[in-house]
Amino acid sequence: MMQFTHAAVTAPPLHPNGAHGLGLGLFLDVGAPRARPWPAGGFASTPPPLPTSSKISLGNLNSAGCMEQLLVHCANAIEANDATLTQQILWVLNNIAPADGDSNQRLTAAFLCALVTRASRTGACKAVTAAVAAAVESAALHVHRFTAVDLASFVDLTPWHRFGYMAANAAILDAVEGFPVVHVVDLSTTHCMQIPTLIDMLASRAEGPPILRLTVADVASCSSAPPPVLDMSYEELGAKLVNFARSRNVSMDFRVVPTSPADAFSSLVDQLRVQQLVLDGTEALVFNCHMLMHTVPDETAGSVSLAQSVSLRTMLLKSLRALEPALVVVAEEDADFTAGDVVGRLRAAFNFMWIPYDAVDTFLPKGSEQRRWYEAEVGWKVENVLAQEGVDRVERQEDRTRWGQRMRGAGFRPVAFGEEAAGEVRTMLNEHAAGWGMKREDDDLMLTWKGHNVVFASAWAPS
Amino acid sequence: MAMGTFPFQWPMDPVASAGLDGSFLPSLVPPPALAAGSDDSVSYYGAPQMHAASLPELAAPFPSRDAAAAAELAMRRAEEEVAGIRLVHLLMSCAGAIEAGDHALASAQLADANASLAALSTASGIGRVAVHFTDALSRRLFLSPTTTSAPPGTDAFLYHHFYEACPYLKFAHFTANQAILEAFHGCDAVHVVDFSLMQGLQWPALIQALALRPGGPPFLRITGIGPPSPPGRDDLRDVGLHLADLARSARVRFSFRGVAAYTLDEVQPWMLQVAPGEAVAVNSVLQLHRLLADPAPIDAVLDCVASLQPKIFTVVEQEADHNKPGFLDRFTEALFYYSAVFDSLDASGTGSPMAEAYLQREICDIVCNDGAARAERHEPLSRWRDRLGRAGLSAVPLGPSALRQARMLVGLSSGEGHSVEEADGCLTLGWHGRPLFSASAWQAFPAVDGEDNPHNSNTSNVSSSGGDGGDSNNSSSSNGKTQTQSSGVVGAGNMFL
Repeated sequence: MMQFTHAAVTAPPLHPNGAHGLGLGLFLDVGAPRARPWPAGGFASTPPPLPTSSKISLGNLNSAGCMEQLLVHCANAIEANDATLTQQILWVLNNIAPADGDSNQRLTAAFLCALVTRASRTGACKAVTAAVAAAVESAALHVHRFTAVDLASFVDLTPWHRFGYMAANAAILDAVEGFPVVHVVDLSTTHCMQIPTLIDMLASRAEGPPILRLTVADVASCSSAPPPVLDMSYEELGAKLVNFARSRNVSMDFRVVPTSPADAFSSLVDQLRVQQLVLDGTEALVFNCHMLMHTVPDETAGSVSLAQSVSLRTMLLKSLRALEPALVVVAEEDADFTAGDVVGRLRAAFNFMWIPYDAVDTFLPKGSEQRRWYEAEVGWKVENVLAQEGVDRVERQEDRTRWGQRMRGAGFRPVAFGEEAAGEVRTMLNEHAAGWGMKREDDDLMLTWKGHNVVFASAWAPS
Repeated sequence: MAMGTFPFQWPMDPVASAGLDGSFLPSLVPPPALAAGSDDSVSYYGAPQMHAASLPELAAPFPSRDAAAAAELAMRRAEEEVAGIRLVHLLMSCAGAIEAGDHALASAQLADANASLAALSTASGIGRVAVHFTDALSRRLFLSPTTTSAPPGTDAFLYHHFYEACPYLKFAHFTANQAILEAFHGCDAVHVVDFSLMQGLQWPALIQALALRPGGPPFLRITGIGPPSPPGRDDLRDVGLHLADLARSARVRFSFRGVAAYTLDEVQPWMLQVAPGEAVAVNSVLQLHRLLADPAPIDAVLDCVASLQPKIFTVVEQEADHNKPGFLDRFTEALFYYSAVFDSLDASGTGSPMAEAYLQREICDIVCNDGAARAERHEPLSRWRDRLGRAGLSAVPLGPSALRQARMLVGLSSGEGHSVEEADGCLTLGWHGRPLFSASAWQAFPAVDGEDNPHNSNTSNVSSSGGDGGDSNNSSSSNGKTQTQSSGVVGAGNMFL
């Protein structure tokens, strides 16, 4: 007995039978245009051509939106311990987002890796087997160990850090005018790459150079120290900086304090408290905080100080305030990665991390080693945000508004950046690709890429 | 035969292993050394408080009470192991007696086996699989062969649970899908022929991947083959409608056709309505071995596949020889094979009785059935290679990305113990080194006699030459919508009735 059935695509919708992986929420309505301000594949001066052939599905133009949705579905499947659905989505994602594709695809591939790492550590997906680890190379494996020279040229490739350096140095110079001794406490992730320029600027001070004290927070020994990684001891680095300062007739001393964001840099703060006891008012204390403060646990990290029921982040800012600094500079990424649920963090990260993948085409050629290092670092961040929990998750960025509230709450008032400083930053940005820009937001400066907020720089003094 | 290799694994007992190694001592982060000399204005301040925060807790001396408990457990395990070995001996002796035709001896051995079973835990290890084999032997000896009539839908129900509980079917699906996706690269009209549609679990992921591929999705047709439905139902159509729904939401132009047949050799190429210019993928997951019973329609079916000139023919089969003529050989092979499978079910921890029931049906078929009634005639990949080669199909290597993906996806959904290996372009999924399922991909040799391969371009006509069996060619249609006997098939005239 032969039976033939035929179902055309216009059949009325059937209620899905509820089986795992069979279409419950798996399929995306890829036709609805999403607000994506950026076409895949870089900064084109003309908009992408409309599809003229029936071969191109509308889904393609919104591929970034599709990928985000698939990633969200995948994250949900992992949280729900649905191994079947997780597998299906991972298989699809693996095929549409090769690690050597366009910006969107590489972005998605990095998120895919992070989700696989997360899946292998939780729930139905068992312990990481060697096979999983080999099949999906964790971003952490590719993070490069830089020499000082390599790191210096690496951070200059893009305004991501340079922007904060320039703004900070300008503000510091202003704030320490008239002080014969300047003590800079560097809380940053880029291992003093900002300092040579600062030394130069201090050396050419109209009133002559001050005595410079540099104290550097060394978090390298912490379990989740964010990249970049410096392949040199701080002793050696310090010696080089001191020599450089000497060559500019700046007398400098250099101290390193191993410390950890997990306890709000308490060892560093303790050192400083001791030093502040013997001050005579001739020393200006400056805190230079670049991209490291967000590694101190906030309220969502669940950890609170034993003494009070406030987060370590709040405690840190109060401690800084208590040291009566002349200036605190805060440069951070303008994004919020503190959502408690992984899907919330995924959306936030996906809608921010597209920027480095989009921008990299403008300054690093495909296949170059430096591009691999650069994308490895971005991948590290993505993996940290999505796959880590607890103390190991250090990428807890908050946006400019939130930091502003925190600083005000801790007893600081904003210090606006002068026109000269803003002008210098704009000039610097002209050395980079056309997509980079800058704007003022309240008293802060904001670095932008294609109009989207990237990194903000703010300066604060005790109120 | 060798009794030295004992494939059964005992579940790990945490009590016995705790405290026997010192691996729970927390590692101490060494405090940084204080730098000597600071004459260069470079100082390094140690912070001993932070790093020495937690002194390691040294293990308390191992109390003797735990030692006694561990010893008792070890003895129990040894006893169980002995009972297990004895049981295997008995089962194989019984099988040997059956092969020799000695019913009385077989019954006696079976009675002993049942007694041994009582001494074993049937929740895990050897007991769990042995109970099914003992049961099967019992049926063979004492029950008249009747086709067990299970309620409709049982097959699908058990299949779905087997799909969920272990990685084998999932591995089959995504490995086959990978080969199909790659084969369809650049094709605008594609047609998948699924030898066993079931609930269509394989296809949503492929539809989604096709939807998002660069250049956009092709026009996708799926032809699903399955057994006829009971009156009042049309299971194939239901699945087809569901897939159509999914395809619509993924914006993939889609069309489904169901072909109901009890066995694959009932399916003729014309029923598949392959259109000229479309790329064909034929997908067979655990179906070919059913065609090996005499008079073995397998070669006819493989010829039919080859005549479709598929871009890819994906084959997943059990990696075992359960088609041996001698009963004892077959029984032994199956005992060891299904022990490994049950072992892996054990380890996945979720413990699915339905998945077990699915496997039990296979075991029963292998042990109890003979001749035309026995469908589970698994054969190893090496023999499939020969057969497929004789049918004019050549192997398409599955590629390193398929291997990598398979390892990742299998690793994610199941514990340690499963591994994916690659050999000669085929992937096998195994348990602790024992291969259990193999996946391979094939294509037809290019057409001979200078005939155009219609799948190379969208608008080619089907050319006719003296090689055809004389059927009429529908040479100008470029889509498959005609209902007449259209030849999208080259050189297959001899398949037409």
